[in-house]
Amino acid sequence: MAHPSAEERPLQLRLHPARFDPLSSLADWQRNLTAGGAEAPAAEAHFIGRVRGRTAHGAPIEALELEHYPGMTEAQIERIAAAISRRHGLLAARVDHRVGRVLPGETIVLVAVAADRRGPAQRGGQELLEALKHEAPFWKREWCGGVGTWVEGNTAF
Amino acid sequence: MITVRLFASLREQAGWGERSLAITPDSPSPTPANLWPQLGLGAAIPPQVRVAVNQAFSALDQPLQSGDEVAFLPPISGG
Repeated sequence: MAHPSAEERPLQLRLHPARFDPLSSLADWQRNLTAGGAEAPAAEAHFIGRVRGRTAHGAPIEALELEHYPGMTEAQIERIAAAISRRHGLLAARVDHRVGRVLPGETIVLVAVAADRRGPAQRGGQELLEALKHEAPFWKREWCGGVGTWVEGNTAF
Repeated sequence: MITVRLFASLREQAGWGERSLAITPDSPSPTPANLWPQLGLGAAIPPQVRVAVNQAFSALDQPLQSGDEVAFLPPISGG
């Protein structure tokens, strides 16, 4: 059976106000990809990002707070994913992202993409993750010792 | 009316997150750049601040119409 294009299988996007299990999300997405007996895609790339326990200056983090722009955040991720899917010929994509208060060790982001080859899958997945970090309206605040500090910019690649 | 929204550090700096601004017929055509001085956040938009109109990134000189939502976004840190 031929693979549907990304247009036929749009991005699955979930913003989670509470803790989520990225492996359950992946399993849900993969079940969806093969629904109705469709052949599983030949290549998938997955990235799971978790909150680290220390700031860039080495101070222990109590929690990370994630603010977003309801409506625009979702619309912007849809636009980013559509453009990257077209550019790399992706078959499908899934993004899960936490909002609100996230504790060290908890998953903050899951990015998964499917393609017919490893190159487009890995390049498309990496590009989607980097675009999320720089082009989707999320703002992080690190809480240390009861003091919150907005993080301006991203950690090193 | 134009709805102005601020997020994260800009919201806390201003002390508010959403405000409606009236457009007067004799005022110059509003743009994000010429609304900014009315927000109490300084004279000019800092270079790291981005603008969205109706929930899509936009230019600072995008003409605004009544009913538009303009948002000023500090540097993004997602993922």
